[in-house]
Amino acid sequence: MIAAVEDLHNRFAGFEARMVHGCPLLFRRDQRFKTFRLVIVMQRPLDDSMAARAILPALMQHGSKRYPDRPSLARARESLYGASTGPLVGKHCETAVMRLQAEAVAGEFLPGRPDQFGDTLALLKELTLHARMRLPNFPAELFERERAQFLAESRSIFDDKGLFARQQAVSLACAGEPYAILDHGGEAAIAALDPAQPAQMLTDFMQHGRRFCVAMGALPEDVPNAVGDLLSLLPTVLAKPLTKTLQLTPRAVVRVREHAPMLQAKLVLILRAPVADNVASHCALQAMLSLWGGGTHSRLFREVRERLSLCYSASTSSDIHKGIVLVQSGCESSKVEAVAAESLRQLDELRAGRFSDQELTTVIATITGAIAAIDDSLASRLSFTAGQWLLENDQDPQQRIASYLAVSREQVVAAANSLWLDHDYALLPVEEVR
Amino acid sequence: MTFQIVRDPVLGEEVWLATTPNGLPLRILPRPKFRETAAVITFQYGSTDLDFEIGGKRITDPSGTAHYLEHKLFEDEELAVFQRFAARGASVNAQTGFSRTSYFFQATSQVRDNLIDLLRLVSKPHITQENVDKERGIIAQEVRMYEDSADYCTTFDLLGCLFPSHPVRFTVGGTVDSIAAITPETLLQSWSLFYRTGNAALAVAGPVEPQEIYDLACACALPSGAPPARLLSHDRGPIGAARRERKMVVARPKVLIGVKDHTSGSDWQARTERAVRTNVVLDSMFATSSPLREAMHQRGEVDDSIAAGFMGDRTFAVTTLGCESENPAAAELSLRRALAQHVEYTDEHIERLRRRHLGGFVRGCESVRSLAFAHSAEQLDGAPPFHTLAILRDLTLASVAARSAEMLSEDRLAVSVTERA
Repeated sequence: MIAAVEDLHNRFAGFEARMVHGCPLLFRRDQRFKTFRLVIVMQRPLDDSMAARAILPALMQHGSKRYPDRPSLARARESLYGASTGPLVGKHCETAVMRLQAEAVAGEFLPGRPDQFGDTLALLKELTLHARMRLPNFPAELFERERAQFLAESRSIFDDKGLFARQQAVSLACAGEPYAILDHGGEAAIAALDPAQPAQMLTDFMQHGRRFCVAMGALPEDVPNAVGDLLSLLPTVLAKPLTKTLQLTPRAVVRVREHAPMLQAKLVLILRAPVADNVASHCALQAMLSLWGGGTHSRLFREVRERLSLCYSASTSSDIHKGIVLVQSGCESSKVEAVAAESLRQLDELRAGRFSDQELTTVIATITGAIAAIDDSLASRLSFTAGQWLLENDQDPQQRIASYLAVSREQVVAAANSLWLDHDYALLPVEEVR
Repeated sequence: MTFQIVRDPVLGEEVWLATTPNGLPLRILPRPKFRETAAVITFQYGSTDLDFEIGGKRITDPSGTAHYLEHKLFEDEELAVFQRFAARGASVNAQTGFSRTSYFFQATSQVRDNLIDLLRLVSKPHITQENVDKERGIIAQEVRMYEDSADYCTTFDLLGCLFPSHPVRFTVGGTVDSIAAITPETLLQSWSLFYRTGNAALAVAGPVEPQEIYDLACACALPSGAPPARLLSHDRGPIGAARRERKMVVARPKVLIGVKDHTSGSDWQARTERAVRTNVVLDSMFATSSPLREAMHQRGEVDDSIAAGFMGDRTFAVTTLGCESENPAAAELSLRRALAQHVEYTDEHIERLRRRHLGGFVRGCESVRSLAFAHSAEQLDGAPPFHTLAILRDLTLASVAARSAEMLSEDRLAVSVTERA
């Protein structure tokens, strides 16, 4: 059940590729590292089942056939030198993604040279296939406990006013789109969860998810066989198609001002852009966003913070595969309009091409410098590779660097002109703070 | 230059040690097969260094001075520190803590130019009335941002209760009022007194040639010599207040218990042993593997917001335990009971937690940034490389039990509660 896959090998340079029990497996033994990391990625559409999917990691911690409760499972991980095993669930653009992960220190760097890879994978297998939460007699009180915890965590975002403002702004701007579904699915969906749903969603991920496995680090000699045992036990995939991201057209800007008891105002400008459908336009847009607000070299930092002293922070972020760009700032409420105006004025400068060649060179150096470091971190490299696969791209970091080096001034100007302001949101302080 | 090279035979890690003729201690961690280099220069000067003596005269700075100075060193006559690093594809930043300030960069190329620039920015302050005034508004906004954080406020309420006479009770950035009193003279004086090779350590990790790094460090223009005498004594006295409550608009009320530690001290060996043993004790009681935590959870007294920690510095130390709860009074009672509970340790228990912490140590070796930060701090402490590893390997049941017995005491305990407004 293990086959070489020349096509995958060519696409994901630097990794060996096999098809193992119907699952693409990429792996790289890299002896620079003292740890190893393996991720099985499963992708499904983002829909109203998100709450049932997102609560899975919490429920799956409550033991398995071999480890009857959460403390015993935690003790097993401690005995494996703090290995981490288990699922993570989150949004990726407009899809829901489950990552079954195994990460640990390799045995050769530990006293007695234990078989850390085999033991950690065995624990992941146990947790995935024999999770107690999949059993019909899984205690109702444990489900209710995790539901209450999950609700509390979803509400606690209010304590971080920057994140809260961002969440509010995105929810308003993307109303009606799958992207508006929150990472935790939303309070109402959590409250309405049926106890049977999470197990059904675990099965759904495993049976219908678009699946892929990637491993790197201090791995054993025969990775395909070592991983094959786990992959052979997963259900055969009956992959269902994923929905394509909606392309929006410009509409009238929506201005929203909300209030909360706090000291510092939070501004969130949401801009939309056509969904980048090729690497060149993707890189041009990222370069433009870096130039606008991507760090201490950017216009927002230099002009809005340093020259005009309007705020402590002002920066851009984006999900360009969704075509969404955010400008976020924390500032005095009296300066919100000035920050918004100056931020947009700086965008106009870029649209008009009023930036120097040195600024663009600096942006490209910053981006490519960060990409060049990706290979030094297992987490970053696997995240990059998994990200490429999720988006059906096929670049390795060196190819991506080459794409950024090819970005021209004209492409950056075009990228700036492709953006339109969609929502102007601010969370403002009210007086009776404390 | 002859380096002292220290190796750990199991991990295969090696650290090159040297001191420049100007007195700057240096640690280099060569990682020839990696691409990224991280360099950190750390000064033993933080937010708690407010009182000191020069020529028999006592000086008291406003709170927030160390943090303000950190901001100002990122401005030079060319007004483009960040841009210079960015043009070389590097990221540069700094952070101020209670007792240290660190400046660092990470880069995959032009390490030489970046290191020269990093050492230059800490060695040549460009501080004027105009740029100090300009920065005040920016820092005030940073201070406001933290004052909106309920966790941050709850923590400093607790430190205020526990340390009535120690400046750890002041927030690192100061307050809008305290930073109003900071002048260019304050900052220049602090720089000239504390930014000295005898009060600093440089660590560089990455694909570097040790001799080249040493030569660059030798060119560092930092003044030599030791810092002035600090008027900062150990706070082992009684707590100032047993309780502080405030109201904020929060998702859920927050409870934070702190136990003042009377064993703080400047000896690195004792301090590291204490930190390692304390973390093992806290894991025994409050990690997800703990039956005690699970029982508290099952009784509905706490949930997974429960978190325990230890902060141990030269002149103060505190163990904390907190959680969020709709019923903060009941949660507080439960946390207090848990702290008072006797935990029976076994060899299996200690071995398991030793493994967990050993794993964490090895993971730290995977990141050049983690390595550079850890080694610059360790050097300032005067601790040899890998000493934490040795302490972990030598951990015994008796030492953990002894630490557990001395850690907790009702008369050194205070509580900070942030209720929902």
